[in-house]
Amino acid sequence: MKHSIKLEYYLAALIVITLLNTFLGEKFSSTTLVSILIALTVTYKGFIVIDHFMELKGANKNLRFLMRLYFVIFPSLIIVSAFY
Amino acid sequence: MMSQPIKNSLGIFPKSWSEEHAGRIPGNIPIWVGILSELTEFGIFFAAYFIAKFYYPEIFAQGPQSLHTSLGVTNTIVLLSSSYFMAKAMSFIRINNKIKCERYLWLALSCGVLYLIIKTWEFHWNTLQGFSANTNEFFTVYYYMTFNHFIHVGWASCAILWVIFRLRRGAYSSAEHSGLEALAVYWHMIDLMWILIFPLLYVLR
Repeated sequence: MKHSIKLEYYLAALIVITLLNTFLGEKFSSTTLVSILIALTVTYKGFIVIDHFMELKGANKNLRFLMRLYFVIFPSLIIVSAFY
Repeated sequence: MMSQPIKNSLGIFPKSWSEEHAGRIPGNIPIWVGILSELTEFGIFFAAYFIAKFYYPEIFAQGPQSLHTSLGVTNTIVLLSSSYFMAKAMSFIRINNKIKCERYLWLALSCGVLYLIIKTWEFHWNTLQGFSANTNEFFTVYYYMTFNHFIHVGWASCAILWVIFRLRRGAYSSAEHSGLEALAVYWHMIDLMWILIFPLLYVLR
């Protein structure tokens, strides 16, 4: 059940990142660095769900590419919006 | 003419997208047409958010501070857990353990229902604070995005119930579970949308 143990690890990582993001947003509001950090972690969270929960890693490469591209484009806009 | 499996019957994609060339398609092609349509729909919501934030930066900096952040965080953890339970359900149907598969589907459904209850409470709490879709541009975008996502969680939760019913009727096994897998990828897509919505509305100032 190696795959199953990995799932627990990924769930824990996703929850920790969520709590970290919230802490960053609450304590260090309106800094560009915080927005960049949040955008990067959102991308990372998206990639984990796409690859390991949705199981697109090793599946159809075009679908995986489109899904991952989505989680590059919109977090990038978070970074762009930090410079408004 | 011989009938073809559904995965090969939709000639709407280039040959390079076929399973033979690009790899296995989890679920089936129709669910991916649906998922890509939903991603486009949410993409428009996200574009609307960034455009509105560009024109009203101060309102969007204040907006997240008016929301009940704890409820947003709780719902994020609930949805992430539901995705985990769904992935576990998939892993058990692959080894033909239908009892554990059903157990994890019920857990995923419980998370979906819990999300709906928390979100309903959050909408009620907003109303008590005097916030509505007409309060300002931030709240218009907030209700536009979150209510739409709420509806998606609602009907996908109903779909989990349907899949549990089908599982009990013996429709899925380790050899054939494309319907269950189609629901699983759709459910993960809903979770993915919340992963983007949460920082936009609750975290970023």
